[in-house]
Amino acid sequence: MLSVEAIASSVASGFLLGGILALTALGLSIVLGVMRLVNLAHGVFLVAGAYLAFFLLQATGIDPIIALIPIGAAIAIAALPVQRFLLEPLAKFGPEAPMMTTFGLAIVLENLFVLYFSADTRSIERDYATVPLALGLVSVPLVYVIGFVISVCAIVAVHFVISRTAFGRDLRASAVDPSAAAAVGVDVRRVHALTFALGAACAAAGGTLIGIIFSFTPASGANYLLTDFAIVVLGGMGNIFGTLIGGILLGVLQSLAGITLGDGYRDLVGLVLFLSVLAVRPQGLFGGHTA
Amino acid sequence: MTQERVSLQRGLHGIEQLGGLLIAALFAIGALVPNLLSDYALLIGFRLMLYIVLAEAWNLLAGYCGLVSLGSASFVGIGAYVLVGLLNQTGVPVPVAVLIAGLAGAALSAAVSPAVFRLRGLYFTVGTLALGEALRLLMINVPWFGGATGLFLRADWPSSAELYRYVLALLILTELVISVGAHSRLSTLMRAVRDDEDAAAQVGVRAFRVKLGTFMVASLLMSAAGALQAYKLTAVEPYGMFGLQWSVDVLAMVIIGGIGLRYGPVIGAVFVVLLGELLADYPELHVAITGVILIVLIRFAPKGLAGVAERTVNLFGRRVAGAHSV
Repeated sequence: MLSVEAIASSVASGFLLGGILALTALGLSIVLGVMRLVNLAHGVFLVAGAYLAFFLLQATGIDPIIALIPIGAAIAIAALPVQRFLLEPLAKFGPEAPMMTTFGLAIVLENLFVLYFSADTRSIERDYATVPLALGLVSVPLVYVIGFVISVCAIVAVHFVISRTAFGRDLRASAVDPSAAAAVGVDVRRVHALTFALGAACAAAGGTLIGIIFSFTPASGANYLLTDFAIVVLGGMGNIFGTLIGGILLGVLQSLAGITLGDGYRDLVGLVLFLSVLAVRPQGLFGGHTA
Repeated sequence: MTQERVSLQRGLHGIEQLGGLLIAALFAIGALVPNLLSDYALLIGFRLMLYIVLAEAWNLLAGYCGLVSLGSASFVGIGAYVLVGLLNQTGVPVPVAVLIAGLAGAALSAAVSPAVFRLRGLYFTVGTLALGEALRLLMINVPWFGGATGLFLRADWPSSAELYRYVLALLILTELVISVGAHSRLSTLMRAVRDDEDAAAQVGVRAFRVKLGTFMVASLLMSAAGALQAYKLTAVEPYGMFGLQWSVDVLAMVIIGGIGLRYGPVIGAVFVVLLGELLADYPELHVAITGVILIVLIRFAPKGLAGVAERTVNLFGRRVAGAHSV
C-alpha cells in the first residue's frame, strides 16, 4: 500500500518536473506558432544541449546550471544555419518539406551522436542532484526545485520578450499574418531565424536540466519530442502560460502513472493523453492564441 | 506542344498504366522458374517486394492524399502480432491470417482517425508518430502478448520460396490497387483533398471520407506486409515490430524515389534495399547517410530520383522533337 507521504512527494516531484518539461515544450510551441513549422529535430536539440553540458563539465568543471545561458546560446547559434540554409529556402513549398527536412536532420544527428559519443546512457553527475529537500509531508530532490525555478523564470522571460519588446511585436505580427507583417516593414526572415534559435535555446537549456535530473542517450530525443508535443497540445499552440500549465499537468499525471502502474507507463501516459486531447479537444485545454 | 511530344507523353502514360504490373511480372519470373534464384536472392527479393508494398502504400497516403505519416510502424506491428496470434491460436491457413492481419490494420486506422484527422495536415504526422510510440510502449509494458520478449510462432520455418510466393501475391494485389486507384475518379478526389481541402469540400468532395478510405487501404497493405515479415521471422517482439525504423525506412523510400509519382516507391525501395545491403555492417552510418540523402533531395530534387529521371526524359524528348521540326 502506498503511503500518503509517497503519493504527496511523487505528485510534488511531478509538478516540479512538469515545469522543466514546459520549458522544453515552449521552444516547440513558439516555432509551431510563429513559423507553422513542426520541428521534428526539437528532441535532438534537447539531447545536444545535454551533451554539451556533459562535456563542458567533464572538460572544464564548470557547473552546467551556471553555464545554462551560454549552453542555450551555443545551441541557438548552431541552429541558425539550419534555419537559414535548409528550412528557409523550402518555406515556399508548403509545410511538409521543411518538416521532413527537420526529420532528416533528427536522424542524422541522433546517429552521429551514437557514432561519436557512443550509445551509452549518460548523466550529468552533480552532488546536489541527490540532496533531498523535506517540507512537512513532502520530500523532493533539491535539484527539482532549482530546475523548476529556473524554468519558470525562463518561461516568464520569454513571455516578456514576446509581449513587451520590439522583437516580440514583430514576432506576434509575423505569426498572425507573415505577408501583412512584411508589408508594414517587419523583417519576417529575421524573425523566423531568431524564433528558431530561441526554440533551440529552450530545448538545450531544458535538456541540460533533464540531463542533471535523469540520464540520457542519443535516442532520448524522440521520447522528449513526443512529450513536448503532448504538452503543446494540452496547453494550446503558442499559448505560453498554457504550455506551463500543460507541462505541470503532464508531469503530475506521469508521476501518478509511475507510482500506480509502474515506471514503464510514465511515457505512455503522455502519448495517450496527446491522442485523446487531439480527438476530443484539439484546440487544447486552454485554447491556443498565437505567441 | 509538338505532335511527337504528345505521342511520347501518351506512350509514357500507357506504360505507366501497366508498369506496376510489369514490375510484379518481373518478380513472378523468380517464382515460376524453379531454382532460378538462390536462397539469398529469394530473401533479397522478399525484402525488396515487402518494401515496395510498404512504399506504395505510403505513397498512396502521402503522395496522392497529402497525409504524411510517421506511424507506419504501428501498422507493421499490428499486422505482425495478429498473424502470430492467429496462427498460434486457431491454425487458419497463412493467406487467411495475412488477410485478417490486414483488416486489423485497417480497423486500427479507422479507430484512430478521429484523433489524427482532427487538426489539419501536420498534426497527422505527429499523431501517427505518437501512435507508433504509444503502441510500442504499450506492448513492452502490458503483460499480455508476451510483453517485452514478444511471441514465438509455433509453426515450421517457412522456406524462402514459400515466402517469396506470398509476398509476390501481396505485391500483385498492391500494384492492382494502386494502378486502379491512380487512374480512377478516386485519384482526382484524393488530389483535390491534398491540394486544397476547403476548396474540395466546397465543390462537394467528402474530404473526411476520402482521407479515411485512403488511410484504411494503405494501413491494410502495411499490416499485411507486417504479417508476412512476422511469418518470415517466426517471432515478434515490440522493439523490432513497432520500431521507429519501419516508419523512417518507408518515408525515406518514397522521398528518395519520388513522392506522388507512380514509380517513385519502386525506385526508392530498390535504392534503400541496395544501400542497406552495402552498409549492412554500419547501421548508424546507414541511417545517418539516409538522413543526409533525404535532406539533400528535399532541398534540390523534391520529386526524388523518379522526378530527376522524368525531367531528363522530357528534356531528351524535347530535343528529339526539336530536331524533327527543323
